[in-house]
Amino acid sequence: MVDEPLITGNQTFHSITDTVSKIAERKTTVTWLALIGMALSLVLVLLGSIGYLVWEGIGVWGLNIPVAWGWAIVNFVFWVGIGHAGTLISAILHLFRQQWRTSINRFAEAMTLFAVICALIFPGIHVGRIWVAYWLFPVPNQMQMWPQFRSPLLWDVFAVSVYFTVSLMFWYVGLIPDLATLRDRAKTKVRKIVLGIASLGWRGGNRQWINYERAYLVLAGLSTPLVLSVHSVVSTDFAVSMVPGWHTTIFPPYFVAGAIFSGFAMVMTLGIIVRKIFKLEHIITLNHLEKMNKIMLLTGMMVGYAYSCEFFIAWYSGNTYEAFTFVNRAFGPYAWAYWIMVSCNVLVPQIFWFKKIRRNVAVMFVATIFINIGMWFERFVIVMSLARDFLPSSWDYYSPTIWDVATFVGSFGLFFTLFLLFIRFFPIIAMAEVKGVLPQADPHHGGKH
Amino acid sequence: MKKRIPMTIKTTGKEYWRSLDQLAETPQYREFLHREFPEGASEMGNEWSRRSFLTLMGASIALAGLAGCRRPVEKIVPYVERPEEVIPGEPLTFATNMPFGTAAYGLLSRSNDGRPTKLEGNPEHPSTLGGANVFIQAAILGLYDPDRSQQPMQKGVKSDWDAFVDFYRSQLHQRYLDNKGEGLAVLSESFASPTMARLKAAFEKNFPRARWATYEPISEENSYDGIEIATGRDYQPVYHFDKAKTILALDSDFLGREGNTVANARGFASTRKVESKKDGMSRLYVAESSYTITGGMADHRYRLKSGDVGPFAIAVAKELQKQGVRIDGYGDVTVDGSHFDSTWIRVVAEDLRAAGANAIVIAGHGQPAWVHALVYAINHALNASGTTVEYHEMRDVSRPRRAQVKDLVAAMNAGSVETLLIIGGDPVYNAPVDLSFGSALGKVKNTIHLSAYNDDTSRQCTWHLPRTHFLESWGDVRSFDGTLGVVQPLIEPLFASRSDIEFLSLINSGTLSAGYDAVRETWQSVLGGGGFENAWRVVLHDGLLKDSASKPSKPNPRSGEIARAIRPVKASEGLEVTFKSSNTFDGRFANNGWLQELPDAMTKLAWDNAALISQSTAKKFGVNNEDMVRLDLGGRSLETVVWISPGHADDSVTLLLGYGREKLGRVADGVGFNTYALRTFDAPYIVPGGNMQRTGGTYELATTQDHGSMEGRPIVRETTLAEYQSSDTPHFYPDKPHHPPLVPLWDEHSYDEGYQWGMVIDLNSCIGCNACTVACQSENNIPIVGKEQVRHGREMHWIRLDRYYASEPGNPAGMDEPETVFQPMACQHCENAPCESVCPVAATVHDKEGLNVMVYNRCIGTRYCSNNCPYKVRRFNFFNYTKDYPEIYKMTQNPDVTVRSRGVMEKCTYCIQRISHAKIGAKAQGRTVADGEIQTACQQACPAKAITFGNINDPESAVAKAKKINRDYRVLEEYNIKPRTSYLARLRNPHPELAAPVERAEKTEHSTH
Repeated sequence: MVDEPLITGNQTFHSITDTVSKIAERKTTVTWLALIGMALSLVLVLLGSIGYLVWEGIGVWGLNIPVAWGWAIVNFVFWVGIGHAGTLISAILHLFRQQWRTSINRFAEAMTLFAVICALIFPGIHVGRIWVAYWLFPVPNQMQMWPQFRSPLLWDVFAVSVYFTVSLMFWYVGLIPDLATLRDRAKTKVRKIVLGIASLGWRGGNRQWINYERAYLVLAGLSTPLVLSVHSVVSTDFAVSMVPGWHTTIFPPYFVAGAIFSGFAMVMTLGIIVRKIFKLEHIITLNHLEKMNKIMLLTGMMVGYAYSCEFFIAWYSGNTYEAFTFVNRAFGPYAWAYWIMVSCNVLVPQIFWFKKIRRNVAVMFVATIFINIGMWFERFVIVMSLARDFLPSSWDYYSPTIWDVATFVGSFGLFFTLFLLFIRFFPIIAMAEVKGVLPQADPHHGGKH
Repeated sequence: MKKRIPMTIKTTGKEYWRSLDQLAETPQYREFLHREFPEGASEMGNEWSRRSFLTLMGASIALAGLAGCRRPVEKIVPYVERPEEVIPGEPLTFATNMPFGTAAYGLLSRSNDGRPTKLEGNPEHPSTLGGANVFIQAAILGLYDPDRSQQPMQKGVKSDWDAFVDFYRSQLHQRYLDNKGEGLAVLSESFASPTMARLKAAFEKNFPRARWATYEPISEENSYDGIEIATGRDYQPVYHFDKAKTILALDSDFLGREGNTVANARGFASTRKVESKKDGMSRLYVAESSYTITGGMADHRYRLKSGDVGPFAIAVAKELQKQGVRIDGYGDVTVDGSHFDSTWIRVVAEDLRAAGANAIVIAGHGQPAWVHALVYAINHALNASGTTVEYHEMRDVSRPRRAQVKDLVAAMNAGSVETLLIIGGDPVYNAPVDLSFGSALGKVKNTIHLSAYNDDTSRQCTWHLPRTHFLESWGDVRSFDGTLGVVQPLIEPLFASRSDIEFLSLINSGTLSAGYDAVRETWQSVLGGGGFENAWRVVLHDGLLKDSASKPSKPNPRSGEIARAIRPVKASEGLEVTFKSSNTFDGRFANNGWLQELPDAMTKLAWDNAALISQSTAKKFGVNNEDMVRLDLGGRSLETVVWISPGHADDSVTLLLGYGREKLGRVADGVGFNTYALRTFDAPYIVPGGNMQRTGGTYELATTQDHGSMEGRPIVRETTLAEYQSSDTPHFYPDKPHHPPLVPLWDEHSYDEGYQWGMVIDLNSCIGCNACTVACQSENNIPIVGKEQVRHGREMHWIRLDRYYASEPGNPAGMDEPETVFQPMACQHCENAPCESVCPVAATVHDKEGLNVMVYNRCIGTRYCSNNCPYKVRRFNFFNYTKDYPEIYKMTQNPDVTVRSRGVMEKCTYCIQRISHAKIGAKAQGRTVADGEIQTACQQACPAKAITFGNINDPESAVAKAKKINRDYRVLEEYNIKPRTSYLARLRNPHPELAAPVERAEKTEHSTH
């Protein structure tokens, strides 16, 4: 049995280098300028809403008692979730020797970083007194006060910051050989100097490759548990509390599955666009997309399983508050959000049972958009468990204000700004790794002959 | 908007004034004058107006100089020798009295460094017995209201008292002395004050031809009229609910808004303190239209239109007569009572007859006089008169009589009134609308209004004179039962205002004199000549003159008069409109932010007065919550908003009075609808023949509780008295939750040393009156956030009254016949507090005395604690609610409690400042804190004494004993969070013949298990 080639179009080492490097080397296009202009104006919206928030207070958002967390936390979990795909693709698929990952891992990792940056904004600004938010960190201080280590919010601080640091290192280490390639092709002085420094003196020698691959493997090993731990810890923000609808042990695996699901959806959304614009169909082939669709089908069903399992446990536990919360989710004031979530996350991925659809770029593009929306609503539905908890006297309804919306939209602006900068200046495909999976790199066909 | 207060302070005082006057002409300054709380407080979110307010804050500081007399400068001398008992930082307590219509409340006031900051009931005084109601608790805010009138005005131009005295002396005084007061008239609020009565007598002697009218928009006038019909004299009825076994309340909210609610609540609750199964309990029957808190406490509530209450009373009288109780004056009134539930009436009559001298029948102040006359006869026939109902002689009282106002207006229109003196009140706003008081006022040459606010009446008068608050002027009162007391000021007048006594003295004598002298002059004769100073000091110290209550008497009812008064009435048909008192009482507290923000006890609406209707009526007229409707009544119409109040009588609309002010103050203006626009002379409380129509518009209302059902959760537990008495382990509804054994995963802190604070709230005593909420707001510096914030669910009250409706499950009519339970809910101080473990910065922690403490300085505002609080009692400062407080408003603040900034969480502390104060005092004296030494603010204010607080580690403490009562339970105890506040389950005492909805509910619920 012969595997279908991962890279099509009779690529050579040179053609790969050329295709990918040219994207970073060509002149700034008007389209790119227009896009980044739009993205930057959204960044201004973000900065403006944050400024207004800091100036006036958290009250500019739609929060109340009982719903003391709203869109900010929803957005945080949403972005952290998206930030899962990159490291999963780079680290876990690397350890599992899934070579098809090489075509997508670079921009998936970049997307991870940018998503985590967007995510990190929200816990930072959602506290009531932003000017003392640094008390969340264990900084030695004159008060001799430590943070309170039993709080999941503190675990969050550690989990997300460690994840970000390791992801950044991983991404950067992976970039080094490609940066060196760009450096070698650089024509201007500035490019030579900047890329020269950035590529850390990479010369491509044997010893360097051996060290490099060891380091990469070690980082992959380090990242792998983090992929699982970050969203598990994020889920404890909810699971450790006693709020009906939050207090459940299924949350860690359910959140991780959801994160991978949403992360892949976002990688697909972006990947399909990039692939089209930069004509990378030979490198990111339909086979790649199909594999990712299969993963989404799997994780989507895991998420669907979690939804139904929650209902079962709510009934099985005999706890009236839990039971009420879940019935209320499906039929209460937020039922609309619940059914959006179920439709997007459970029903939409079912189309990927069909091979034709798995290989239909237009359909899968629309499907990934739906999944992105659905996964945002999943977090919204979870957070809105607050609206109706134990004492009916305190029940209330939450609706966002214009500032909630502006902050969320603005965070997309930041995300796209960073992403546009990335595709303008960095090699968006891991050239060195893709070359490693070309047939030329493995003349003995992996010992299959 | 560039104008700022000039900072060149080198100018003379006069120039400074002039510049202020210039500023006063700017529209911004007028805006400042006309809005109450800074824009920011009532309408958070508009940063421009908030900033402009800050600019104008400078003006208010200058204004303090303008007001001038906050503290008389010449009297302030730094202490060379410290006055006796004054320790800087230590509060002092003084006794005083709060006049309220024809009665008064005996109070204690806390004074911090010379400014009163908190009012409590005077435990020695029969009117309060240490408790309070919402009006008492909120009165302190009225003192520091920056919108109170600050100087006399002549025809809308600023003037001063000297100018008025000159005017009065030169133009009016001598002339009226000469012509014996021809053309002079007084319109006064009612009062019960020896000095005012003396001055009124002197006035009548000086000006025998002058006219005197006493008017109150809401009062016990109908009750007095009824007693006058029955006995020929004026008596003040005083109820002893503590002696009552059976009570029938006919449209009477005696626990909420009518009569002496504080003493009523105390007496009533004392019959509900069931501590063991040997204890009995009173039984309360209520027949009423709008659902009041009295109806909420009822064992049986009969829902009927207010207009049907009279026929209902006749039917009860008839039934009593049939059962052999001879009722004088009942006569042969033919009333068709067939549409009333005959079993209900028979059972009530039997119960009343059985209770005999321990029965009370009480009619509401909205019921016509003849109902009161009939009720007098019933109470007399039952022998209740003299035991549970006493009729005290009215002394030193000027009681309200609407007819006098009608005559006065007629005289004004006829041109026979040349000078009208209006003492208090706001008749242009609240006089019967068909009298057109405002236009009559225009026909009087000199109109002089003494009023705390430059209100509708003042603006139409030639002279407006500022009136003092009772905490800043001398006066005296007679309480409900005639007990004498002195109104002792706690502070010099904040503004250029004078009291009623000083004003009337001025009218009599033509010179301004101190109210203090007038009061002492009266009391010379009260206390007798010898040893006056000592006796006077004792009265001031005690807050009352002991044993000065007037003698109750028991005149026989005049049967003929009563029979004549009873109108052969037919049950009213069509839509009925009733007028009720609100959180603003009659509008006099409209500018009080605490009362405006206080959710109505039943509807939980704040900041508005919606028209209340039943579910069925709403369906009939095709309206829903927040729909605008046009009410047509007797040729007048009013557009208002509708709110469905479950349990309201069908075909009846309740309108709350006291809203819809336009130019009163920054809190009051634009809040609600002016329902006085429909209120006429002939039908002040109950009007048949209305019509209601949807206008198509809607109006947003702010409610603090959206959901009224308990969803079958074991939150408020209740059972019947019979069930409680018949079993050692009584069964409560809803059922106690079943849960696995509560085993801790680790060694828990034992909390068994030293003080361990805990609280018990008796749901059987709690009447849902809200006094605790306002008391807490006053004690703990809780900000007012305004309607928009309340609508957003951001009210700040640390203790709230949860109100749940209970009805028979599966009964579609349940919405119309619900029972009500109240549950005060504040931080429960859980030993395993869920809030503490989730705070990332340890801003909420446990102390070794079991208190869940909130460290504001450490809080960064993640709000996780609130999310994880199962009781949702934590409150968050979403904005800087306190930033824009006017300077004078800051004087209300309790210096022992931190004023919270933006972005921090806050919640009930069990009044930790009071705990610390007591502990420090005890430690200084080398002893431990005695039981009862610490009272939390809610506990102290509670008129029903439903709250017990103390050291649960001391088995002899009241709280530890209360926790041993087998009605004790903890809300959500199955979560093993170990709340320190527990509740005593509610009991109902239904008559066995009348099905008890609770029991029915229990059965239905059980069949589904």
